[in-house]
Amino acid sequence: MLYIHRTYCISPQQTFGQVDLETIQEPANKRLLAMEPNYEGIPPGVLRRMGRAVRMGVGASLPLIKEGLPIDGIIIGTGKGGMEDCIKFLNQIVQYEEGLLAPGNFVQSTSNAVAAQVGMMTKNKSYNSTHVHRGHAFENALIDAVMQLNQFPGKNFLLGGLDEISDFDYNIEELDGAYKKDPVSNKVLFDVDSAGSIAGEGAAVFLVNDQPADALASIRALHILHSEDEKLVADTFRQFVEKNRNAADTIDFFLSGESGDNRTRKFYTACESALPASTPVARFKHLSGEYCTASAFGLWLACRLVQGMALPAHLLKSPASVSTPQTILLYNNYKGVQHSFMLLRK
Amino acid sequence: MSRIFVTGMGVISAIGHSVAQNRQHLVSGTCGIQRALDLFPTKYAGLLPFGQVRTSTETLVKQLQVTDPGVTRTSLLALHAFNEMLEDAQLSPEDLASPETALAGASTVGGMCLTDELFADANHHTNGSPYTSSYDCASVNMFLQKRYGLKGIINTINTACSSSANSIMYGAMLMRNGFARRAIVGGTDSLAKYTINGFNALHILSREKCTPFDENRNGLNLGEGAAFLLLEKEEDINGKKVYAELTGYCNANDAYHPSSLSDEGDGPYLSMQGALQVAGLTPGQIDFINAHGTGTENNDEVEGRAMLRLFNTAPAFASTKSFTGHTLGAAGAIEAVYSILSLVHQEAYANLRFTKPVPSTGLTPVLAHSPMPVRHVMSNSFGFGGNCSSLIFSKP
Repeated sequence: MLYIHRTYCISPQQTFGQVDLETIQEPANKRLLAMEPNYEGIPPGVLRRMGRAVRMGVGASLPLIKEGLPIDGIIIGTGKGGMEDCIKFLNQIVQYEEGLLAPGNFVQSTSNAVAAQVGMMTKNKSYNSTHVHRGHAFENALIDAVMQLNQFPGKNFLLGGLDEISDFDYNIEELDGAYKKDPVSNKVLFDVDSAGSIAGEGAAVFLVNDQPADALASIRALHILHSEDEKLVADTFRQFVEKNRNAADTIDFFLSGESGDNRTRKFYTACESALPASTPVARFKHLSGEYCTASAFGLWLACRLVQGMALPAHLLKSPASVSTPQTILLYNNYKGVQHSFMLLRK
Repeated sequence: MSRIFVTGMGVISAIGHSVAQNRQHLVSGTCGIQRALDLFPTKYAGLLPFGQVRTSTETLVKQLQVTDPGVTRTSLLALHAFNEMLEDAQLSPEDLASPETALAGASTVGGMCLTDELFADANHHTNGSPYTSSYDCASVNMFLQKRYGLKGIINTINTACSSSANSIMYGAMLMRNGFARRAIVGGTDSLAKYTINGFNALHILSREKCTPFDENRNGLNLGEGAAFLLLEKEEDINGKKVYAELTGYCNANDAYHPSSLSDEGDGPYLSMQGALQVAGLTPGQIDFINAHGTGTENNDEVEGRAMLRLFNTAPAFASTKSFTGHTLGAAGAIEAVYSILSLVHQEAYANLRFTKPVPSTGLTPVLAHSPMPVRHVMSNSFGFGGNCSSLIFSKP
């Protein structure tokens, strides 16, 4: 379907520069906040005016663009991009009783600010789109990239998934029951049997095209579904596995988006048990935290794994000796409703 | 490549609660913009004109028989248009809930229409309102998904004011790439204290009813509404009523400024040109353009200039935002419906309140409802962040 050639990931862990996933960075104030790079190449004045989501998104995109290939489109998925600026502007409205307000926050609060900024800074006048369908924002961006490549063979697209934790959105999500009530170390995220996950954020950006030569990985298949019915989800998962079963694509690794939320565990268990018991299972949300586009972090990790990254023991659900996976099935689920299955191969 | 047809439509706006009512007012030249905002307290209510849908949120809840808590006005407007589209297309509940039916919606305001509730929840002044999962733009299509048990691909696009032009394009692409057999496409936005203050801070809200493409235009009026269209493939038509064929679409970026278009209008030029390419049409074959035409100094001059650059002599054009106000994320879909009505009824709708052309372009839009032969119509939507999209609908 599509080949991934370069990646850049900003996350709560050391995922850019010298990648280090052996050392687990822990949450502060119940939040897994991203470690940000120095953002070389972005003028300080411009950087100062950017909201965090825009900063991370632009910061993860520019290094891929600088590496030379012409970019024929920018496709971003973000569930909550711009939320921080949105509430800042809202607070201005209330504080100044709808008086004379500075428009900066308003302009940056639209979710398309990241794709727009990247387009503007690189003078890129081609396709430019922003998908915001909550837990399927990144998945739709990925589908969009696949379709653009079908329509325009030989082109290169920048595909990204990003979200930020803002205080305001954290408050709303906390009220909505998204996070565990008591502070929990991410090292034991999967051992605590309670509702909610841990807040996370990040930006994972991919340079994709239809050229297999020198690719890091390829996306072989993708399916997304809304459902609260675990049986329907498990059946759909089984059909997905069946449909994509062939000699070249024996699924030899399951990457699970399990989030530590005991309300959604049943979906992961159901899908996991649809695969042969010998399939190794790894999890990643103790590294990324939970957010709308955490599956983009999952995809970044899957790319590293098929490239032969040494597998830190804390990723594995149960101890096993695992050789470099060739074909990874990534299953993610957002809030027990939005499911995605991605098949990735070296 | 399979041809894609529009087989159902629904729309709600300041000029009507149905496709028929909207057309009636487009034909009669009845503007829906008034200085009578009464949806929420704001100091701009009596000061500025708005294109408000004249039905209260409470009435919409009752009419649409919505019992779930936490459903916002943005979602209610969407449901209203969605239901009309369903009935019009006679889409069966089975086909609607088929995994082969995609929904590509768009919104820029989402649940932010509840400005005061959002403020309280975000600043932790409450123990949680019923709206904590309704503030994002996705909440609208999450609601429609749940209400109708939709099982296909669902998406929400936010490219500011071009959002629902892109959702129409995305739905068509899903069909052409085997991700869906049919697609429900559209968009919705409601008036909000948030957007009123945002556009006001940018000094682009007109104190009077907007005058798109006029020399003395002084800004836009905000409006609200929703529209949905059903897209089906040629092989699935089987004698069904067909309104139009979606022949062209293109998305390009102006890459110039976060909230205004470049003087040369590269984004608008490229999106119009790209849509012609996809449709396999020459500029001379476009009979009518439903322009973006917001009424701001920047947009209308640049759009006019880009039209001249591409077409040499501009085709007949008009901005229906002079009837509805700028409905932001819904505008692309609402104006797609209007463009299709132009094809179906072989007529162009007026650009209201125009008196004098912009000197640098000399362009005069259609000034009154005019019967005319329309074979291909282009609809433009340009947004913040340089996001420009153009669609072309053709007579089937």
